[in-house]
Amino acid sequence: MPLFKFSSFYEKARNKEIVAGLVLISFAVILNMVFGYFAMIFAFFLSFFKWDYIGQMQFVGLKNFQIVLRDLSRGLHGTSYILAPFYTGLKNILIYTAIVVPVQTFLAIVLASFANQKIKGQQFFKVSYFLPATTSAVIVSLIFIWLFMKNGFINYALVHVIPGFQPIDWINDRRYLLLAIALVAIWGTSGHFMVSFLAAMQAIPKEIYEAAMLDGAGPIRRFFFITIPMLRPMIVYVVVLGLIGALQMFDLAWVMAGANGGPGGAGYTVALDIYNEAFTRIRPGVAAAKSWFLFAIIFTTTYLFQKKYGRAIR
Amino acid sequence: MTPKEKERLIKRIWIVITYVVLIGFALVYLMPFIRSLVASFMTWAQASQYPPKWIPSPFTLENYEKLFRLELFPKWVRNTALYSGLIVAGNILFSSMAGYAFARLRFPGRDVIFSALLSLLMIPMFVTLVPNYIIIYKLGLIDNILGLSLLGLVNVSSIFLMRQYFMSLSNEIFEAARLDGCGPIKSFFYIALPLAKPALGAVAVYQFLGSWNAFIGPLIFLRTPEHFTLPVGLSFAFQRAMWTEYTPIIAGSLVASAPTILLFLILNKYLIRGIVITGGKG
Repeated sequence: MPLFKFSSFYEKARNKEIVAGLVLISFAVILNMVFGYFAMIFAFFLSFFKWDYIGQMQFVGLKNFQIVLRDLSRGLHGTSYILAPFYTGLKNILIYTAIVVPVQTFLAIVLASFANQKIKGQQFFKVSYFLPATTSAVIVSLIFIWLFMKNGFINYALVHVIPGFQPIDWINDRRYLLLAIALVAIWGTSGHFMVSFLAAMQAIPKEIYEAAMLDGAGPIRRFFFITIPMLRPMIVYVVVLGLIGALQMFDLAWVMAGANGGPGGAGYTVALDIYNEAFTRIRPGVAAAKSWFLFAIIFTTTYLFQKKYGRAIR
Repeated sequence: MTPKEKERLIKRIWIVITYVVLIGFALVYLMPFIRSLVASFMTWAQASQYPPKWIPSPFTLENYEKLFRLELFPKWVRNTALYSGLIVAGNILFSSMAGYAFARLRFPGRDVIFSALLSLLMIPMFVTLVPNYIIIYKLGLIDNILGLSLLGLVNVSSIFLMRQYFMSLSNEIFEAARLDGCGPIKSFFYIALPLAKPALGAVAVYQFLGSWNAFIGPLIFLRTPEHFTLPVGLSFAFQRAMWTEYTPIIAGSLVASAPTILLFLILNKYLIRGIVITGGKG
């Protein structure tokens, strides 16, 4: 019956377009308002409360933020990682981002420029480089745990490629765990970005290169003075996307290091810490406060980067 | 050597370098898949040998058998398929409706609402994670695929993609329909939707990849092992050491990633083009 009522209302409506428009967007808007905006406001309030999901919510003012700041200051004074989990996570994730984002962007550009020539099998290269991006990070990590074992394939390959290389116990050695996670992340995303760069390179008008060749510019100068500047919007886009992904890294660390960050907390991340605050230590208020810190970090880094190098465009 | 010969030689060396680099990296990207495919037919004793072996001997299906002997595994496959199905169906239906309305209809507040939705893309999921857990908890839908699906039923990126597509269609056909007395809802079903097949396909594929591979959402909103999806289930099986050998985990990883890999291999031309157009949210 309600359907019938609506249709008669709709037929009688003076402006069908308005009614139709509002009806068609209603479901999408309601869901996104609830799980997006309402949740955000909720997270804002939550960060001022102490709660255990069941009992009474207790207003504690800025105490949750104080907990985070104290954690940071303890970490700066060199306390062990168990007492300063947020600091540990933040330190690791900054190192991780500083490795992953530049390396994957650089690698993607280099591979795209190699592929952007008259070569056979371009589609094959695109497909094989892109393949890791279609597989879940969890599955990828599970496979890499095996490849990273002390007598595993990666050590075997490195011993044969780098002279004098000694096998490393990547996953169980606190000095190498984060690097191992970073390598998996680079493996997983650089190929995807390579495909994006390749498309952007192929969209650069040929006339520009021809004009430069007439002026006597060699391939290296053409690369640095035409390709790179023309790619700039795409580079900014890839870096911003990379920053957003890397700063929130969770899946790889969860599987490769475990929820507690593995040996010495070497694989602990801010995202893992938010999860633990909310679901193991049962402090949703502190988790909310930490998530605002994470938001601030992501927002400022991407904002500053785009301010300096121009806006990322799709 | 004349300058022309020298130039030709340099060109030839350059082509060789190009192929060496490209093939080398193709091996880097493909090797984990190749290695796990080979190892999934080995015994763990052989798969863990150093130096690595390439030919399974004895050739065994034991790992796959072990996997399916675990009663949970087929359930995980079914749950993942159900979750992906719901997400794909929801996004196709609701994002095409919303995308059409935002692109083609005029109603008060349209642009404000649309930009409000778009700005949600800037919010990291960790900010809304805990509140959404509480909302779903209050709705009594924790540990339920339906509750989990509710969160991803209409993705803003799908709405954006559909809106862009509907905006790119020519105005004339909609004008003609309007003059023939076709109302906005009728023209959505009879004109816009049939024309939108490529965009709907893109939404379906991206949402399938995203939901099939999703981890944090299922990890938090699903609580009992019977209700897990494949990524959560496999990481659970690994952390609980359900098998003493690692090879069933490798076989499970292959089974879990087979649908997305096959889909990608079949559709690679369209997918690569589409991902480049939308900027890709892998």
